[in-house]
Amino acid sequence: MQRRKALSLPVLHIMLALADGPRHGYAIKLEVEARTRGVIRLGPGTLYEAIRRLEDGELIEQAPAEPDSEPANGQEAQRRYYRLTSLGWRTLQDEVRQLGEVVNAARANPRLRKGLA
Amino acid sequence: MILFYRALLLLYPRAFRRRYQGELRAVFLSIRRESRYSGGVGRLRFLRDIVADTCATAGRQRGRQGRAAFDRLFVTGRPALPAATKRTEMDTFAQDVRYALRYFTRRPGFAAVAVLSFALAIGGNTAIYGILDGFVFNPFPYPQPDRFVAIGVTFPRLSSDTTYIEALSPPEYLEIRSSRSFGQIGAFDLGNRNVSGGDVPERVFTALLLDDLFPVVGMTPALGRGFTAEELAPGGPPAAIISHRLWQSRFGGDPAILSRAIRIGGSSTSVVGVMPQGLVLLGTDLWIPWGGDAVGFPMNRRQFNVIARLAPGATLALANAELAAIADRIDQSHRAEFAEYEGWKLVATPWAAALFQDARPAAYLLLGAVGLVLLVACANLANLFLARSTTRHRELAVRLALGAGRWRIARHLLTESLLLALAGACGGLLLAYLAFMGAGALIPQQVQVLGMQASFSGRVLAWSVGLALASGLLVALLPAVQATRTDPHDSLKADARAGGGRGGRLRQALVVAEIALSVVLLLGAGLLMRSMVNIQRVDPGYEPDGVITMRLTLPGEKYKGEAVSAFFDALLERIEAIPGVRSASAASQFPPMGAFETQFSVQGPGTPTDTLPTALITVATPRHFETLGTPLQSGRGFDASDRLNAPPVAVVNQAFAARYFRGVEPLGQRIEIEAGGRRRPATVVGIVRDSRNAGATQPVRPEIHVPARQTPAWNQLFLLVRSDAAPASVLSSVRQAIVSLDPEQPVYMIQTLREAIALSSFQQRVSATLLGIFALVALVLAAIGIYGVMSYAVSARTQEIGVRLALGAQRGTVLWLVIRQVLVLAAIGVTIGVAILIGAGRTLEQMLYGVRPVDPLTIVAVSGLLAGVALLAAWVPASKASRIDPIDALRYE
Repeated sequence: MQRRKALSLPVLHIMLALADGPRHGYAIKLEVEARTRGVIRLGPGTLYEAIRRLEDGELIEQAPAEPDSEPANGQEAQRRYYRLTSLGWRTLQDEVRQLGEVVNAARANPRLRKGLA
Repeated sequence: MILFYRALLLLYPRAFRRRYQGELRAVFLSIRRESRYSGGVGRLRFLRDIVADTCATAGRQRGRQGRAAFDRLFVTGRPALPAATKRTEMDTFAQDVRYALRYFTRRPGFAAVAVLSFALAIGGNTAIYGILDGFVFNPFPYPQPDRFVAIGVTFPRLSSDTTYIEALSPPEYLEIRSSRSFGQIGAFDLGNRNVSGGDVPERVFTALLLDDLFPVVGMTPALGRGFTAEELAPGGPPAAIISHRLWQSRFGGDPAILSRAIRIGGSSTSVVGVMPQGLVLLGTDLWIPWGGDAVGFPMNRRQFNVIARLAPGATLALANAELAAIADRIDQSHRAEFAEYEGWKLVATPWAAALFQDARPAAYLLLGAVGLVLLVACANLANLFLARSTTRHRELAVRLALGAGRWRIARHLLTESLLLALAGACGGLLLAYLAFMGAGALIPQQVQVLGMQASFSGRVLAWSVGLALASGLLVALLPAVQATRTDPHDSLKADARAGGGRGGRLRQALVVAEIALSVVLLLGAGLLMRSMVNIQRVDPGYEPDGVITMRLTLPGEKYKGEAVSAFFDALLERIEAIPGVRSASAASQFPPMGAFETQFSVQGPGTPTDTLPTALITVATPRHFETLGTPLQSGRGFDASDRLNAPPVAVVNQAFAARYFRGVEPLGQRIEIEAGGRRRPATVVGIVRDSRNAGATQPVRPEIHVPARQTPAWNQLFLLVRSDAAPASVLSSVRQAIVSLDPEQPVYMIQTLREAIALSSFQQRVSATLLGIFALVALVLAAIGIYGVMSYAVSARTQEIGVRLALGAQRGTVLWLVIRQVLVLAAIGVTIGVAILIGAGRTLEQMLYGVRPVDPLTIVAVSGLLAGVALLAAWVPASKASRIDPIDALRYE
């Protein structure tokens, strides 16, 4: 596998949020915020900057709107939904595996284990 | 708020915006509804987060776009990288912006003070620049205004200044027209025409065209067409072009005007065009062909204005060289006949500069003065930044120790102050807008007629942004230099309080600079105010109170020869019958205006020969001297016996007698007055007291008065009415008297004599007032600076003062310790300020009246005022120092 730069933290979280299924922009933001307990708060600019990068890298793509999600208003109805591409899935799996290795390596150090719980 | 966000989105590259703007807006709206951002504070926090988020990502997107373009151009075969994590310039900038915004929200007080100071200083500068730009520097919307020139003339033999208005005669113009430096050239005479037909007649200020003006000005009619060669030729079909203003006010903007004929001075004329709104030419509203024959016109009847546009490739210097050659040629061929041609000069000057040559020195003075206020404000802000960087010392030291580059830190400080300055400039534009509205109310009617206005042009905006950038850089300069000199080792080791010592000197120097600049402004304002007082104290030589003046132009077609004086005689008789009116007269001019002058000759000894004799020439009715309140010194005034066929007489003023009849009895002397290319003899029958007849502050000029009945060609006269009644009631009675004689004759230029005097010193009054305001602002800023520096000095010396007190120093001694420091700073500042003013005194000299630039009284007063303000500003910190409890101070470790 070719060498690839590690994904930035916001990008990784956005991909994780999409791993549960297609979401629109604001839903991604809420999910990321919930997952990180408010540590990562994505502004609109930061969010779509990352989405652009993921789209250009063909890691995510637009998905048809969820049929069961009830649009709250007209604007909501026009929102774009995103989902992971197969390349995105593979990249995310790679990334998570690599991070797991990092965490495992950290666990080997008794002084770090406490922090990792 | 969504509008604001839409504007913010413009920061993004277009591609990004197109792709995501709908999404961005949707997320923006959703986030705004979050409970975290509710309430007033929440909204502010939201604003901060959104601005930071947008600035940062927009910066990165733009950087990315630039890199992609670069790669596409130069790095062939390699696709643009989808992801980039390398830090770019834009990233750094965005980070600095974000960091600065976060800092400002944490220190709102600091940010507010800084933005407000910038707003006041930049706003003041923008306002003054905008007003001067609109009224003095670039008042006209003509294309390529620098190539649009007025041709002026100077006659050294008549010891005249360069004049551009009513300066040249038609034959002179024909010579100038042969010049190859000018692509288009035109000449016009000014006059008043009564436009009637329909309801009431209206007097309209008119330009009479010798050649077409509109190609010279560079504008075409908004409606209809320009003049044809046939219409411009002598005896051509009557045609008129009117201004947008006249079209709106008189004809209700009716587009059918082009198919209508209007009555101008009693004759039917068809309107062929309406000029666009921007065309302003000396306040004229009606343009008609002159219709005279230029070739046969007397060489010295100089009543035409000549304007021209430089030919492509020609320069002003080239045109002036050619004009000099033309002047020389005329001098050679005509000096024998007209002695004034000896050494005369023709000069081309860009139109705005020619018209406002008198206002320019004051304009530059005001611009310089308000610039000084900006400098004082900058010094104050630099002080604030320095004070803050002392408290931020450790933070900066930590960043340096962690490996931040010095340039990076300096750049961060610059970003902060630039952001504050730009925010200030936004506030300043608002302030300038208010000032522009206010300027309309301040500027007298007579100037407003010219149709100029202050507004936000591209130049004004550029000026304001330029000032913001410059002052932002200036303010951050010292703190940035200081920050990069910080040695992290020393700073981290030393105590926070002790670490600030080095800033003290710098801050004191800034305060000295502030004081010096304030002194310059105060001295300038003081001198101008003393000049104003002197101007008001000048004895005008006449009694200006209770006189109302207005102008009346009798159309030449209707009133010919003696009919003019018959009309005025009958009118004055009716006016003097009005209850409350003590006397009334008609005259071609009255002090202080001094508009009409003439050449003349005297027989007799003692006539100066270095310059040809010139004097003001005033046509007047018998009771003129009584109405003005200028008593006769000897001889007689005019009376009913001075008729057209009686021997011609003249009354001269004392200045005339002293200059031209030295050592002879003036009464009974004969003079020959130049009029319309001929010399008419007159016998001096009276001498009238001198009055300020050429402006309130100008020396009295020799003046000749001739009776109106003997000069019926003057059909345009001012009415002067002296009465005990209120001006408004007198005016309506006068109007009734005119209507009873001829209902078609309107009066205009209505003002009291007091108003006329005020108008002639309008410029000085405005300069003195504005400079006074600037000086006051600078003084307040300097006081704030002194207060800040002394408070800081006292707190830095708390321990030292505590030790002194513990060792038995008196509280008075401590007080003196602080006061002395302030006085030293003030003394240095005042000395520098006075020195600067003495150095610059020469530029101020021409604006002063009755006071020299180095005026001891003003200097003493200003020094006293400054010392007082400095003491006041230092009093709080000083008394605080004297109340320090030694025990607390020593424990305060």
